[in-house]
Amino acid sequence: MTDCGCEKARKDLEEYLRNEVCRTAEADIRQHLENCPGCRDEALVSKTLTEVLARSCKEAAPEELRELVMVRLREVQATH
Amino acid sequence: MIATLDRVDASHEHLRNPSADDRGANVDLPSMDDSQAPDARAQFEEQALPYMDQLYAAAMRMTRNPADAADLVQETFVKAFASWHTFRQGTNLKAWLYRILTNTYINTYRKKQREPYQSPIDELEDWQLGGATSTTSTTARSAEAEAIDHMPASVVKDALQSIPEDFRLAVYLADVEGFAYQEIADIMKTPIGTVMSRLHRGRRMLRELLAEYAQERGITASGSTK
Repeated sequence: MTDCGCEKARKDLEEYLRNEVCRTAEADIRQHLENCPGCRDEALVSKTLTEVLARSCKEAAPEELRELVMVRLREVQATH
Repeated sequence: MIATLDRVDASHEHLRNPSADDRGANVDLPSMDDSQAPDARAQFEEQALPYMDQLYAAAMRMTRNPADAADLVQETFVKAFASWHTFRQGTNLKAWLYRILTNTYINTYRKKQREPYQSPIDELEDWQLGGATSTTSTTARSAEAEAIDHMPASVVKDALQSIPEDFRLAVYLADVEGFAYQEIADIMKTPIGTVMSRLHRGRRMLRELLAEYAQERGITASGSTK
């Protein structure tokens, strides 16, 4: 495990946070984040953006829609 | 097929059942396999309908209004049910439903709401452009994380709404739904490199929009200003 340095860490940071990098790269980036407060902060911004997006986009489907879908499924089935 | 695309109406009074005037449209759907178990509908309802809230949320971000979102979700479920015999139990149902949702959206709605934006922007390598965000100081970035964390949901949704559609979809599928790059590539029918590029770019646009908003409103790291 070797510290990969800021440039690679920044380039692959999002992939790292989404578990989309290979194990070696993962270890090197993790090592770098332990050593580098600047990149750690960048990672925090990135993670926060993901969390806030997920939290903000929650919606509940209207109850009427649920009923309409059930009705349409029954109709579709009846026509076959 | 969908009669009132241009209607924007925040209430749910407008929810309608298009099937009455729309019988002919069902003809081109793949027909149900006759050998299918009679309880296929029960199985479909039990497994697929729990995704309704999620699909509706995605449809809201795609179509940007409740009437079209409701229509899109209805169409998605009808198509999914018609193809239910092709779904292999044990594979990823959520990704399967999202593929149908995205396809339906692109085929039905995108044609009607052409955005001025075109795609060559995808070709550019973008993550080294970092610019302003990557040169800001550590303290500024901590403040940025905190400001983002305090952002009202409506502002975040508006910001997402305002970025070009392909970027919006990539960001939504990755950040809100947590799909892996390969799954997003399958859903959007694009190479993984394109997914990554759209995601990076879309997220950078969002950061800039949210930073602007925070600056205008004087939102500070302490969150003391509304």
